[in-house]
Order: sequence, then structure tokens, then C-alpha cells
Amino acid sequence: MNVMINQPLNDTLCDERLAFAELARDLANKKLLEGIEENDRYPFGPLFAEAIKDAAVVGFYGVNLASEHGGVDMNAGMVAVILEQLSLVDASLAAVVFTNAAALEIIRQASLESDCSPLYAGISSLGTAPLAFQSFSGPGETDMPQADGGGRISGKARYLVLGDIADYAVIPAAQAGAGGFSWYLVDLNDESIAKSKPIVSLGLHACPAVDISLRETPCTLIGGPGCGLKYFDAMADGMSLCAAAMSLGVMKGSFQSALDYTSDRYQGGRQIIDWPQVRMMLANMAIESKTGDALFSRARQEMENECQGWGFTARAAAVHIGELAVKSTADGIQLFGGNGYMKDYPQEKRFRDARQSQCLLGMAALKKIHYITDYIEENK
Amino acid sequence: MKPWKFSRKERARLLNDGPKIQEAYNSLECQHRLPKSAHKDVETAIAIARKFNNEVLRPMYLERELKHMEDHSFLSWDILKIAGDWRLYSLFIPKLFGGQGLNFLGLYPFIEEISSVCAGLGHIIFVHYLGIATVFPSFNAGILNKILRDVAKSEKEGAPRLLDLVITEPDAGTDVQEPLLFNKARIGTDLKKVKGGYTLNGRKIFISNGHLSYWHIVMFWADKKNAADTFIQMVVPNGSRGFSFGTLEKKMGNLGSTASELIFEDCFVPDSMVTLECNDPHLVKSPKGVRWIIHSIVDFVVSSSRAGVGAIATGVGRTSYEKALEYARKKTVDGDLLINHQWAQIILTDMYRNTAMSRLLYMESAYADMLSGLFKLLAKKPVDVFLRVMPEWYFSLISPFIGLRLVTRLFRKYYFDWYTDEERNVSSGWASIAKYTCSDVGLVNANLALDIMGADGLRHEFGAEKCFRDVKLQQIYESTNQINQMNTFYCLVGSAVPEVQYFK
Repeated sequence: MNVMINQPLNDTLCDERLAFAELARDLANKKLLEGIEENDRYPFGPLFAEAIKDAAVVGFYGVNLASEHGGVDMNAGMVAVILEQLSLVDASLAAVVFTNAAALEIIRQASLESDCSPLYAGISSLGTAPLAFQSFSGPGETDMPQADGGGRISGKARYLVLGDIADYAVIPAAQAGAGGFSWYLVDLNDESIAKSKPIVSLGLHACPAVDISLRETPCTLIGGPGCGLKYFDAMADGMSLCAAAMSLGVMKGSFQSALDYTSDRYQGGRQIIDWPQVRMMLANMAIESKTGDALFSRARQEMENECQGWGFTARAAAVHIGELAVKSTADGIQLFGGNGYMKDYPQEKRFRDARQSQCLLGMAALKKIHYITDYIEENK
Repeated sequence: MKPWKFSRKERARLLNDGPKIQEAYNSLECQHRLPKSAHKDVETAIAIARKFNNEVLRPMYLERELKHMEDHSFLSWDILKIAGDWRLYSLFIPKLFGGQGLNFLGLYPFIEEISSVCAGLGHIIFVHYLGIATVFPSFNAGILNKILRDVAKSEKEGAPRLLDLVITEPDAGTDVQEPLLFNKARIGTDLKKVKGGYTLNGRKIFISNGHLSYWHIVMFWADKKNAADTFIQMVVPNGSRGFSFGTLEKKMGNLGSTASELIFEDCFVPDSMVTLECNDPHLVKSPKGVRWIIHSIVDFVVSSSRAGVGAIATGVGRTSYEKALEYARKKTVDGDLLINHQWAQIILTDMYRNTAMSRLLYMESAYADMLSGLFKLLAKKPVDVFLRVMPEWYFSLISPFIGLRLVTRLFRKYYFDWYTDEERNVSSGWASIAKYTCSDVGLVNANLALDIMGADGLRHEFGAEKCFRDVKLQQIYESTNQINQMNTFYCLVGSAVPEVQYFK
């Protein structure tokens, strides 16, 4: 099935990729680097609203949006390039960009089989402000609100990322009597929507989320009714690459900080980088980063070349790099000793962010089960 | 004739071939060497902890965690006081020193229980006993009697005065906790002998419970270039001239307790509060040598404390399992209850296995400590009977005599001169195994819980993300897991390999 050992891989987007990577690196270093600890205090400190706006200014909310709707017309692979660079510094803004991109991907999938122009036109802040989405949930695990078939939706949408700052959300809902579920666009400023306090989460603190309660809220169906799972799966292929990129960025950042710190810190009469035990841990981190890098690049190339079964590679990359990142960032703390556990240093945040990123697109264990189910189905 | 018939001598040789019974079967050894009362004491300790959890910690720990997140300078004085009202700080202090005298074996399951609700708040109690385990190996009976009786008294009066352990410095961490690295440490603090005592200067950091404690058990070195032979331990109470509190560290987890900076600026410590000096005549004349004794003192402390860290990690790992199980019973995934998915059942089973294995390990370490470590004297049956049978008034009556130098000499004779390499290696080695294995396994469990709890696991109110943050600390403090691996090698692997060199 998928992996095409004989298919040549072209790299036609190299220049664009380098340009986006540089843009993201620049934004991260200028706008995120100094405020990492302060931004991470949210919801017990202010939200980094300026950084969220800055991402709009440089066009990060329109990367995977078609040009006729004001976007850059790139695919999720280009979003992934941005996310990796942002995550090297602070993965929270990457999670904001991820959430918007995932919502746009759902609409894009729907637009492949039905006319979504009116829907795009109805989003007043399209490409200039992020859309809200349940980035940490897969359909099989989500308690969905109910759509009434008459354009209204009621119930709860839990853990809606950006739900308290976005104008619009893309959410799933089931319809009584109809099979499956569908995607809907809702206006989050509608008075029928009640929002919870910001959710206090493990990581990615500056990427806010809330629960929302909907009471006969007006909504717009996205694409065909009952096509929710199909759109989700198609979205998840591309966005898995983005999840992998976030984990990879966090992991690389942790490794680089560990290298720097172990070169500076003395214990037992020498720089700790010169202790063989430390070297072994650094070696493991280096190999994990390099393996992640190679896997991510391969998955991205397969996607860009539209290789058969590229989605399996992307999803495998997300799961594997996600696991590597958690292990690697745990070691990243360990190499800092007690300092690694403290908020004055970047490692503890990366550890939390890596674990939270592993939950992107749903429950970690369930993603594996769905992967093998789809794999078996594909290879029948 | 039995085919395996052997002489008594051959039997002994076979058992000594290794792994030796004393090294590998501590729990078996304890079956006949521990007093019967130990079993009841362990059960009592567990029951007390569970009652405390149900009535005090469980109803408020998550809300309390949010307060700590909001304000890192917030201190849990109220919980500290409540634990004192429950007499938890003197629970395991021997009756000889005014405590309630529960067997120390019970301390570890007690800590697991408390930590199974909140590792941070449980840490307040654990670190207090860590402070006791630090001052105890000085075997300075007079000061021990004074401090420990004060703990019991202050607790009864509603204003408990706790102990902590003060050693880490900004540039000296691992190397001042590992005796083989003492002489390579970049010690930044200064100690100067003055008339009637010492003056201390410098900063100590990452002191657990620093701001919450009253009696600070501090470690300094008279000669920084020869730290291994010039170790000095003393007690600095709050209010001492030149002693002050510095910043509170902003930690990822374990938020209920503190990591404090303590500042010493010409801080005067009178001779009467010096618990142990390397130039003490007894130490100097000891056939074991000063360096060996200092190494043993450090190992007495870490043998007790690292098993405790193992117990904390077990508590957190167990909670991860319990949270995941509770969640799996209610959550529907792909149209069926999560608990009914076989893959989830296997994950939950692994988590149960991890917890059980973890508990066995820290208990094995505790058994080793009872037989070969700090608590070995208290575990002797005649001592246990004496401490148990005699009434409280009797110990109050003899209290003034405990301060006699003779008592200190006797303690030190027993614990220093008669102590063996083998005992030290077994208790210290097992403590390291327990510490780094339980914390690694605890993190595995915390990770698995998040694996099957999805987005809900990331939310604070479900408690699983707290476990993930809390358990990571257990891999770091009481020396990093990597140093504990080295200590295990030193104690249990390299000890039988004469050509081996350490920290090359």
C-alpha cells in the first residue's frame, strides 16, 4: 500500500518552506522568547494577545486557506514547517495556529465535494483571526452536542481550544435519527452560547480553551450531512504532520537547551557534559531528535508528492514523534537537575507541552487503535 | 537419604555464594528479626493516613493546587497546622525522644497513602521526617532529645515546629550529596570557627519545606578543598542571628510544599547546636576513620529518605492508575465503555502491576533499612519491647540523662564503630534502587493515565495531569536518578569488583 520506495520525491516547495520557516523563527525569537515564563502563567496571568495578533499579521492563519478566500493556498505541510519553528521557542502559539489550521482543514475537505463559498464568506475574520476547534479530541471519544436538523444546535462542546477568544468555531454535532455526525460552524459571539472559565491544563497554557454550552444556537452545516468522520480522517492525515512538527520542535528545543546547560554547569569537578553518563543521555536525545527529524521530513515529502498512503506515514510520524518528545523532554529536565523542574528554566514547560501535544487530534492510545483499524481496512 | 543433603557448613557457603540472603531477601530476614508489633504499627499508620486523606486532604487538594498555581508565594500554613493537630509530626518519633513511637517501617506506607492524594501536601510531612533522618545519624543524643521533644510539644500546642534538611548550594548539588564527589564540589558557603561556636555565610537553595520549617539541619564544610574530611552538621532554628529566608522557587509540581532559598549572613551557631564535627575525638579515634564515618552518615540519611521518595512516587503512580480506572468506568469510547476495550484493560493492568512492583521495591528498601540502616537499633526486639512497654512519664523522667555524653558515645559506638560495609551497601543500594525505579515507574503510570484519558486527562480537575507534574520531581531530588544508578553500582555491583573505579 502506502510507502512508495520507488517513487521519486520532488521538492518543489523548498523556497517557500525556507521562507515560512524563517518567518516563523523570526516571529518566535522576537515576540515569544522573552515572555515565555510570563505567557505560560495564563490563565493566572494575561494572555499573549499581541503574539496571537502578530501571527495574523504575518499570515499564519491563512496558510492552508485557498487564495480565493484570502489565503496563501498551501497545504498542512507548510503549516507544519511554521509550527516546528514556533515550537522550538514556545509551542503555545503553535497550538493556536494548529487549531485554526485544523478547523480550516475540515472546511477545505468539505469544499472538495460541496460549495462552501457562502460559508467562507460568512466568516468575517477569515484568515485574520484564528478559528476555534476541539484540537485535543477525536470523534470516537467526544461527547457531541445535538443538531436539530433545522439549523440549530444544543448541548456541550468540551475543551474548545480558542473558544474564549475566537469569533467562530468548527464543532461536530450528531443529529438524532441520522447516522454519524456532521461539522458545523457556529458564531461564538451568539448570545445562546455560555462559556466556562478558562480550562487549567497540563501544558500549552497560552493556548486557551473553554467548555461551551449551546442552547439552540444557530449553526451552519459544513459540507454533507453525516460526513463528519470522513472529513475528520482526511483532516487528521495532514494535521498529524502538524502535530508531529510541534512535538519535534519542542524536542529539538529541549535538546539544544540541554547541550547549552551541560556545557555551562560544573559538578564533580568538571563540566557535566564531560561526564560519560550525561553524554549518553545527550546522545539519546540527539538520536531521538534526528530520528524525529528524518521521519517528519519523510512524511512531509510524501504528503507534498501526494504519494499513495502518505496519510499513514503522517499519522505514524505524529504518534512516534509524540512519544519520542515526551521521553526526550523528560531527559531534558533530568540533565538540568533541580533547575530543570523550575519555571525559570525552559525545560519543565517543554515537558508539559510535549505531553499535551501528544494528545492533539485525540486520545493517544485510541489514535493507535484507529491507525491499525484503518491500515487493515486499506490493505484488505 | 535426601538427594540434596548438605552439611551446615556447606549450606552456609551456598547461601553466601550470592546473592546473599542479607542482600537480596530483606523482607524474608525481617520475618523473624522484626518485632511482632511492627505489623500492627504499619497497619495503624496506613489507617491514620487514609483517615487524614478522607477528612482533610481529599476534599480540598485540587482547589488548593490552583491557589498555589495562582500565587507561587502562597504557603500551606493551615495544612501544616492541621497535620500537627493530627499529631502526624511526632507519630514516628521514638518514645525515648517524646514521640508516639510508631515503628518506622510504617512511615513508608504512610507516605504512599498521603502522597496518593497529594504529593505536594504529603511532602510537608515527609520532608519533616527527612529532617529527622538527617539529624538522627549524628547520634548527638542531647540535641536530638531537645529538638524532637520540641516537635512533640509544639505540635500539642498547635504551632508545630518542623525539621528540614539544608545542603544544596547554587553551584554544588549532586556533588555535595555524593560522598565520593565531596572533594570536587564547588562549595560556595563559608564556615568559620569563632568563640563559642561558628559563623555561617552563603546561600543554600532548593530546600524542601525551608520556609515552613523551624529547625534547619544544615551541612557545612570547614575546608572546602577537603570537604570529605571536614563535614560539620548543625542546627539553626528560626530567629537565629544572621539567618533569613530568601526566594521561593517556582516549581512545575509538588506545589503544596516549598523549595526555598535560605540565607546565612554571619549567622552564629553556638557549639551547643553543633550536632557533629569531624574533629570530634570519637570520630578521629574511630578505627573506621572520619571519611568512612561521614560516608556512612550520608548513607544513613539517604537510605531512609530515598525509600521515602520511592513511596511518594508509588503513591502518585497509584493515583494515576486509580484516576484512569475511575475514568475508564464512565467514559464511552467508540460506542463502548472504555473499561470494556481490551487494550484499555491491558493498560490498566500494566498500571496496577507497576504500582504493585513499585510498592514491593520501596518496602524491600524499608526492610533493608530496618535491618542494616538507620533504624536497625530500634528494630531490635529488646529495644522495641523496652520502648513499647515503658510509660511516657518514664521517658520524661530519664530525659535529662539522655543528654549525657555517654549516651552519644554509646550510640556512635554502635552505629559508627560496629557498622559494616556490607550493611551500608545493602541499605544504601536498595534505597537507590527503590528511588529510581519507583520514580521511573511512577512516571510511566502518569503517562499511561494521560494516554487513555485523552483531553480530560489534560484538565486540572481530573487530577491526572497533576500526577504527571508531581511525579517528575521524584526522579530529580534526593539526588537525580542517574546518581542513584551510580550509587547502586557502587553499593551492589562494584562492591564485589576490586578493580573497579568510580566517577572516572
